[in-house]
Amino acid sequence: MPASASAHRPEDLISRLRSAAADGGANLKALRELKNQIIGNRTKKLSYIKLGAVPSVVSILASASADVKATDADADADALLLQSAAAIGSFACGFDAGVKAVIDAGAFPHLLGLISHPNDKVVDAGARSLKMIYQSKLAPKYDFLQDKNVTFLLSLLNSENENVTGLGASIITHSCETSIEQKALSDAGVLKRLICLIGGSLCQRDASLESLVTIIKGNPEVVSKFLGPESGRALTAVTELTKDRCPRTRLLACMCMIVIRNTCPCYLQDVGTKTKLVLILLELLDDPGQVGDEAAFALSSLIAEKEELQKLAFEENVVDKLCNHLRKGPLQAKRIQGILLALADLCSKLESCRSRLLSLQVLSMVTDALSHDSANVRAAACLCLKSVTRSVKDVIQNLSAGSFMKEVIVIPLVQLLHDTSTSVQVAALGAISNIVVDFTTHKSLFIQCGGVKQLAQLSKSMEPTLRVNAVWALRNLTFLTDNRCKGGIFLELTASALASLIGDPEPSVQEQALALVRNLVDGCIDSVEYVMSEDGHILHAIGRQLQTASKPEVLIQGMYALGNVASGNEFHKEAVMHQLLPQIGDTTQSIIIKHLQNNDSRLRTAAVWALVNLTFPSSPGAHGRVVKLRNAGITSQLKNMVNDPSLDVKLRVRAALGQIMTFGDGST
Amino acid sequence: MSLFWIVLRQLAEIEAMATSKKVITSDEWEKKLNDVKIRKEDMNRLVMNFLVTEGCVEAAEKFRMESGTKPDIDIATITERMAVKKAVQCGNVEDAIERVNDLNPEILDTNPQLFFHLQQQRLIELIRNGKVEEALEFAQEELAPRGEENQGFLEELERTVALLAFDDVANCPIGELLDISQRLKTASEVNAAILTSQSHEKDPKLPSLLKMLIWAQNQLDEKAVYPRIDHLPTATLGDPAV
Repeated sequence: MPASASAHRPEDLISRLRSAAADGGANLKALRELKNQIIGNRTKKLSYIKLGAVPSVVSILASASADVKATDADADADALLLQSAAAIGSFACGFDAGVKAVIDAGAFPHLLGLISHPNDKVVDAGARSLKMIYQSKLAPKYDFLQDKNVTFLLSLLNSENENVTGLGASIITHSCETSIEQKALSDAGVLKRLICLIGGSLCQRDASLESLVTIIKGNPEVVSKFLGPESGRALTAVTELTKDRCPRTRLLACMCMIVIRNTCPCYLQDVGTKTKLVLILLELLDDPGQVGDEAAFALSSLIAEKEELQKLAFEENVVDKLCNHLRKGPLQAKRIQGILLALADLCSKLESCRSRLLSLQVLSMVTDALSHDSANVRAAACLCLKSVTRSVKDVIQNLSAGSFMKEVIVIPLVQLLHDTSTSVQVAALGAISNIVVDFTTHKSLFIQCGGVKQLAQLSKSMEPTLRVNAVWALRNLTFLTDNRCKGGIFLELTASALASLIGDPEPSVQEQALALVRNLVDGCIDSVEYVMSEDGHILHAIGRQLQTASKPEVLIQGMYALGNVASGNEFHKEAVMHQLLPQIGDTTQSIIIKHLQNNDSRLRTAAVWALVNLTFPSSPGAHGRVVKLRNAGITSQLKNMVNDPSLDVKLRVRAALGQIMTFGDGST
Repeated sequence: MSLFWIVLRQLAEIEAMATSKKVITSDEWEKKLNDVKIRKEDMNRLVMNFLVTEGCVEAAEKFRMESGTKPDIDIATITERMAVKKAVQCGNVEDAIERVNDLNPEILDTNPQLFFHLQQQRLIELIRNGKVEEALEFAQEELAPRGEENQGFLEELERTVALLAFDDVANCPIGELLDISQRLKTASEVNAAILTSQSHEKDPKLPSLLKMLIWAQNQLDEKAVYPRIDHLPTATLGDPAV
């Protein structure tokens, strides 16, 4: 009857491995016991690694390999090779700590040597173990750009031995990253061979499907080769496999088709194919294992950013089905992440999906996930909320009833702003940005929770994505908000911080900062004072950007910000004039003319708006400003724009000219 | 074998039936059946597939010699697989685990559910043999970590460990775990996993055919009255109900 583990304590086993190095027989027995103890048992693997078992096993492998080279094939030597390779493979199986231990101990070259061994079983063991290593991110990078490496890879793929072809496929799946590598492999005939292997045995088929996905992904050239005449009826073969008996095969075949479709949108366009893919993935979600987990991610990649597919999925009740899966707790982290991401994608554009999700009463599960152990799950929950909160209709109105919003959503989100993971912070910022756009209730809730302080903090982060998203959230917060709220934000941020954000190295940050200022000064005249504080620090920063920036979105926001300032009092208007027109002695073209002549009609519109505000007739200093504008050639520039192709521009130009003309046509 | 012929012909005939609910007499039906052509080679392959998947090595070998049908897996690999299956069926789980690991170490490493079930079976065997202390130790050292590694196993784990709480194990509410059927279930799971790792389909085709027959008959029942096969083992054609 089976003896329990205590009869073979790990420490004893290891000492047996190390001692009696000369006695191959004793080694073999100990190796085999070790192998049988660790297979399937992650806990044991970890404890053996900590006890230093891996180097001992690797040294047995090394000496057995060396022996084989010296003498003829020996049954005992083969057995040692087999068992040590198998043990190493098991340590590396699905377990990063094991992979690291194995690589650090120098197992890799010895395992490679086993592939050309005369004994098939030894080859099997070596190939399997290498495959395990390659499934980890810690595996050494395979250089596909070196000819001899590609030749070796092809020899693996052309082998009769299924484990060896599996190894070849595994190397591709996990090491091929860039489009140059993809092309190199495709050119070398690897693509062709993989297509061939799709017709092979079950293991070969699955392995090569996975590799195909990697080689094709994002590379239109390779996709056309795949779909081209030399590849035979590759697409047909893959499509057939989406109906295969084996769930994993179905999943991989779907992933292949999705990758083709995403890389070259002109293919696989018909509704029938799209519906089938959605339905197959939905059904695969029911699988309790890894296939089910990955099906959710595949669904995301199918529908992300594509409204018609999201609509199709909605019609197939995908929202309901995903929510049903969520209810079947407890779920592994990966599965929750996948489902939440799929829901986030589904609800990203369609109001129908959002209302459906909210009506199914699963929001509490999403908000629970905000405090999950796994950072990936937390981020996915935030993304889901970000999608849902894009809805500004009654749906959100219902949500904001009382404390639900505050306690269940706003507080956890604000807490996630100082999460240890950057991606969680960014995702939380996204959700917050949406929540604070409309509705005073949400804004004040957020402020009460200390959200502004957090955002101000994050706007100073070293990480550009955090800065951009934090400023974006602040921008949304200041949109159409009251003076008290604006005051609070300005106090927290400070003028100098805002000015430096405007001058941030990242254009996307500049854009959001300028938009924030635009919102800040919008509304009543008192708000305009914000840009004038500290000697017009912010105003000067805006002016500088308008002179130096090249990204249109930055210029547009800057121009609108100035335009809003120009709606203030005399002092404000004069300050804007100072920014827009060249100073005495300065021969450079005024920035206002430069922007009026810009190709982007949005920028021209913004520039004319500023002029409209500057020449507002009932302001006392309007006449003086009109004269200056005329002298700077702006009036004639406007006259040239009377028939601007953009309607927005044309209307404002005529309004501005109309105002200017009330002061006479300037002909003296 | 003749029963098999009948079943296959029945299936083929039903699939060819027309739509309106008609009455078909036994004579008419027999005639239709006789008109359906089934190839002997196809039947032989079905039989061989069944024997090989179920692991009946000697029968498969004999059948190969007598009919000339080629097996779709190498018979040598069947022997190893059968040794594993037999070991589990006899309750020698540790032996079975060692054999599986010799055959292919990936199987148990990449199949947490299967590995858990084998460990569970080991525990059951220890309890069956009254080795309570060893069982407790085993549960703590080997099974509890599985539950930690994967929350989905916790419920079954608790159920199995609960066996230790009962004095009269055979008659307790979860006594079915001690049943031979539990061993057979585990054995079947291992068998399937080995077959899959060898790129072979884990289910024989024959049961699917029989299921199709039953389904097809149910479908046809809505449209016609005809001699049904109600008892699969004998495959006798009944009288069409009037």
